[in-house]
Amino acid sequence: MGELMVEKHVKYILAVEKRKDDFESVVMEHLRLNGAYWGLTTLDIMGKLAAVEQDEVISWVMQCQHESGGFGGNIGHDPHVPCTFLFDLCITSMNSAAMLAFTHFPILTSQNKKHGQTSIKSTHHKRWHSRHWQCVLLRNLGVAVVSLTFQPDIAALQNEDGSFSGDIWGEVDARFSYIAILSLALMHQLDKVDVGKAVKYILSCKNVDGGFGCTPGAESHAGQIFCCVAALAITGSLHHVCYSWWVLSSLIMIDRVHWIDKGKLVKFILDCQDKENGGISDRPDDAVDVFHTYFGVAGLSLLEYPGMKPIDPAYALPVDVVNRVILGR
Amino acid sequence: MGEPGPLELLNQLEGILESDPLIDEIGFIHPSQFAALNEDIGTPSTSVGSVPKSSFETIFWARDHKLGISTRVLFPLYVAAKNAFVDAYKSYKVHRSIYNERDDKNASTCPSSSPLRLESELMKHSRALLLLSSDFGSAWNSRKLVLSKKQSLSMFMNELIFSAAVLSHSPKSEQTWSQRRWVIKMIAGNCSNLQEIMERESELVKKLAERSKMNYRAWNHRCWLVSYMSGEQVLQEFDKSRHWAVLHVADNSCFHYRARLMLRLFEESQHNKDRDASFDPELHELLKEEFNWVEKLIKRYVGREALWLHRRFLLTCWIRYFACGDDDRSLPSNQRNIKTVDIDMLIDNELELFRSCTNVPDSDFEDHKAQATFAATYMMWLKKQLSMTLSIDIQKLETSRLKSVLTNAYPEKSFLWNSLLELCEST
Repeated sequence: MGELMVEKHVKYILAVEKRKDDFESVVMEHLRLNGAYWGLTTLDIMGKLAAVEQDEVISWVMQCQHESGGFGGNIGHDPHVPCTFLFDLCITSMNSAAMLAFTHFPILTSQNKKHGQTSIKSTHHKRWHSRHWQCVLLRNLGVAVVSLTFQPDIAALQNEDGSFSGDIWGEVDARFSYIAILSLALMHQLDKVDVGKAVKYILSCKNVDGGFGCTPGAESHAGQIFCCVAALAITGSLHHVCYSWWVLSSLIMIDRVHWIDKGKLVKFILDCQDKENGGISDRPDDAVDVFHTYFGVAGLSLLEYPGMKPIDPAYALPVDVVNRVILGR
Repeated sequence: MGEPGPLELLNQLEGILESDPLIDEIGFIHPSQFAALNEDIGTPSTSVGSVPKSSFETIFWARDHKLGISTRVLFPLYVAAKNAFVDAYKSYKVHRSIYNERDDKNASTCPSSSPLRLESELMKHSRALLLLSSDFGSAWNSRKLVLSKKQSLSMFMNELIFSAAVLSHSPKSEQTWSQRRWVIKMIAGNCSNLQEIMERESELVKKLAERSKMNYRAWNHRCWLVSYMSGEQVLQEFDKSRHWAVLHVADNSCFHYRARLMLRLFEESQHNKDRDASFDPELHELLKEEFNWVEKLIKRYVGREALWLHRRFLLTCWIRYFACGDDDRSLPSNQRNIKTVDIDMLIDNELELFRSCTNVPDSDFEDHKAQATFAATYMMWLKKQLSMTLSIDIQKLETSRLKSVLTNAYPEKSFLWNSLLELCEST
């Protein structure tokens, strides 16, 4: 079996970041924040976060913020819940003192208003201080329907049935529930939404095949299963034995049960590497991309491949970051 | 003869889009394909600005409402379209906020020509950009802003035409499907031909699903349409989709669509009738036909998981809508309520299916191994389902039998099989 080409992957991720001169890279620009999260987390898991210029990343990420408070996928793009969440993740996975202060900012403001001020450069700076902490939360959640009108009403982020909308245009998806719950959990603000209803909605997306769909009655999808199971895990609703039933059945459904054989899966991931230029693809000999590089490395981390930082499967962040932010360790 | 610059390219593209609002298919084509295309049917093309017409002949190809764009110009074209869009969006938003403020005080002070121009600029540039980058969410949002302000039915209808053209090139674009749902939500309340629109939407999904396999988003859209369909339409869709399902037995999405349609019929039936008399002979027949049909497919197309999953759904329908509890079961069968399905017969039927799918002498073929696995996990599921919902224990089915089927098929997964069976037994 080969080994993980860590240095090549670092080089690949840094190069992808800079690529802006062909159609294939610019046409993905609305996903640049996603790319930043994938790239940064991958580097962090491999213990190579120092390879990026943190100030540069931070200043770019901050520019993705929309005047409503939410974040877009790149500078000048409309805000959307997934992007705001990715912002949270990017910021959370960065290691600098300033970033930590920033991450903790919403929490700190509710307790103590001294911290975090220096890291916020935008004109919204003042608003952060003039409004009470709910507004901070709204800004970070990026649900423009509330932040546009600036009603400090957390419940309005959520729909009546417990689901969450992606933006002011109202598309509902269980993935947004996961994202909202995760963002709130990272900011210690889960008690500000109706978690019971949110969980109930997620459970209503379950199907007889054991999987979850994006809305009640929608077809099961592996990505949705991850989001729903992770959201249940974060809210502490994943205690019943039947959940392990679903998870296992889901694995059967997507025919990846053999992946439970750790050795085979590690080999499969390593075979997907581009050993010349770095990067990991979806299957051996396909074209690499930063998305699958992240999944490959995160997968190796879950499989306890030597030298990898452990990653938390529900938060999709390195365990030490989750400990630092959620548990304050 | 000079190569056209980015702005000229954009002008040309926007000119083509303007001149033919009915374009229904787009594609990015390699420069080498142009010659063949032009050879086929002469050379159409209109010239724009100072660039001679012939310069564009190998860049854009437009005919019969089809548009081809050379891959050679995608990058400069995208950059020009994006910049134009960003500027237009900015001006529009600035103007809108001024307009809104003025509107509060005195609406008549605002000149009417300027907002119109800004709107049309925004629509024009976002259209060009979205053809090149279908998931550019901000561009779709900008169009929603304009459309929701205009509230013009014809503009909404044009948006359906335009987004269909985008889907012809990017059939899995989430943002584009989402835009269609938004448009339909906007017009659903006040258009007379909603049923016709539903029919066209459904056809569109069918067409695109044929071209792009495993298209979750397209099918999800079709399922979403169901709640807007008339009862009659639901039945028609149910009939029409059967053929597609037979031709694509490995594609779970179409079976899921059928399940969605059936659920709608059941919901409606329960809603319309007195609960006590909820037995609906037509629905009973429909469910029975589907159940038998899937059984035939399972036996004919060996090792297709989608079929087994569909059977699970149908079985939950039997239990939920037609099964009786313990009280009824104690009665002799001729005295039982007509709405009830004979659970004992059903169980026997499933046991027989299980036997026929697992008693394969030559099980070296992957398909047969898969079939045995699906049959066993299906029975495992059924056992648990019946014990949870009706407190019925399938005594004739021993877990040891399931275990031997599973481990025979895939001995390397014995850890998984053991965990599953443990879960199955713990209630």
